[in-house]
Amino acid sequence: MIDSLQRMRWIAANTFLEAVRQKFFNALLLLSVALVASSVFFQQFDFGSSELKFISDFGFGAVFFFGAILSIVLSTQLFFNELDNRTALTLLAKPIHKLEFLAGKFFGCYALMFCFTFALSLVLAGLLFWRETVLMGQLAEGFDGGRLIRYGDVFVFGFIQWIKFGVIAAMTLFVGSFAQTNLFTIVVSFFGLVICQLQYIARDAYLGMEAGAGRWLVQGLSWLFPNFQLFNIGDQLVYPVEESLALVTLGLIVAYGLVYSVAFVLLAQLNFRSREL
Amino acid sequence: MSALDLDLKHPLLLRSLKFVVVVVLLGALAQVMRPVEQSAWEAVQARRSELPLSQMEGALGQGVVFGVLGGFRTILADFTWIQLYLAWEKREAAELDALIRLVTTLNPDSVYFWVNGARMLAYDVPHWRMDDAGGVQILPDARQRGIAEEQAQQAFELLAQAREFHPNEPKLYLEVAQIYLNRLQDYANAAKWFRQAAEMPGAPYYAARTYAKLLRVQGLDQQAYDFLKQLHQELPDDDPYAQKNIVLERIRALEASLAIPEALRY
Repeated sequence: MIDSLQRMRWIAANTFLEAVRQKFFNALLLLSVALVASSVFFQQFDFGSSELKFISDFGFGAVFFFGAILSIVLSTQLFFNELDNRTALTLLAKPIHKLEFLAGKFFGCYALMFCFTFALSLVLAGLLFWRETVLMGQLAEGFDGGRLIRYGDVFVFGFIQWIKFGVIAAMTLFVGSFAQTNLFTIVVSFFGLVICQLQYIARDAYLGMEAGAGRWLVQGLSWLFPNFQLFNIGDQLVYPVEESLALVTLGLIVAYGLVYSVAFVLLAQLNFRSREL
Repeated sequence: MSALDLDLKHPLLLRSLKFVVVVVLLGALAQVMRPVEQSAWEAVQARRSELPLSQMEGALGQGVVFGVLGGFRTILADFTWIQLYLAWEKREAAELDALIRLVTTLNPDSVYFWVNGARMLAYDVPHWRMDDAGGVQILPDARQRGIAEEQAQQAFELLAQAREFHPNEPKLYLEVAQIYLNRLQDYANAAKWFRQAAEMPGAPYYAARTYAKLLRVQGLDQQAYDFLKQLHQELPDDDPYAQKNIVLERIRALEASLAIPEALRY
């Protein structure tokens, strides 16, 4: 068991290093940081919200958008690189189980996504802190009770997104486990992501439908895909609200994400174990 | 027997079998995770403004849905508001109406969108419609009044939706009052809404003064007098915006018009 964990750790560390060296990751990270940092300049397009709310929404949007792209593209690239370069053959010729290989790849991507979400959360928190400090100097009467922003929540949001990126990465590995090409995996995973984002509509729809084939189909769809709207809780974090999200709810969301991540890796193993390399 | 073996190992059959196994496993997982998902979903939904995609039909296919679901709701609402101004400049009433609904669906938390959307519907669109129908010089008064009422009704419906999101926002009540007053010259209803706005925390001082003024316009001087006396007692002394002296002047004017004896005056 310990040996198995050790082997997974080696593969994960190697995957992480390989990913960090990729230009795609660095370019996307820079682009995301630049976009979050530039949200201050996008404010001239803001009409309805306060400056701080606009910046946080913009930052949260960037975390999800670029994070989802990164999870899918990097997981695919890192998985198929091993297959295309035949390094997977060398690895699997050694006493390494295919599940260890898949789990190692997953954890490598997961670690990378942690760095990505943490870096963006840090930039966003710093930006919010700077703008709030400036605004406190200009509009002291609006900050009678001290600072408005709960900075810890920026990182809570980042953490929840990281959990979601884990599900996306695992789902991508699952698609990759039976796909023959990079492109197919990326396209199918993006479709999967969109379906997961929209899953709640199917869920709500079947509740209002009459019994029949249509209802079964919609219900089946809502069973096959995880509900990613659970992770969109940016509106309920960062700013004081009448009733904030309970810690139990956050725990349930994290548990939901982790279970689906494990499940998709295991399902990937189901396909991958009989795959000829 | 060997033929059967061959059939069972047919790649297509194996793939189909795998597919079925995956579907069954995912379905079983969904059932196992259902209590967890249900509980978390209810908690998340209870605190979030819903995003009915049925109201976003006009934006489908423009990348809006993906952006919205991805967390760019506020930003997309801002850009849609810019698009809405283009429709406003071109006097496209139908497009304007659709975009107002889209913007307020995307970002219902912003009072700005609700109030300005209602103003466009109640004040601007009636003029466009009247111009399209031949202009105010030609159009009969009854028709003009009908168009104004139809548009005001649309604005009221929009503001009623807004109050579901912001039940304690006096600006929304004031907007209804202003439309009754300025667009429909319905003083009784305007007074009713100014009164409601005035009673809300954070309401501007002028809401109460306008309510009293509208009572006078309707000939209800005694009610206006009683209200202003009460108001004067409640207004703070140290806030210039309260304009206590103006309220007192109006009380004096009412005392004169009501011929209240010197001894009974405020």
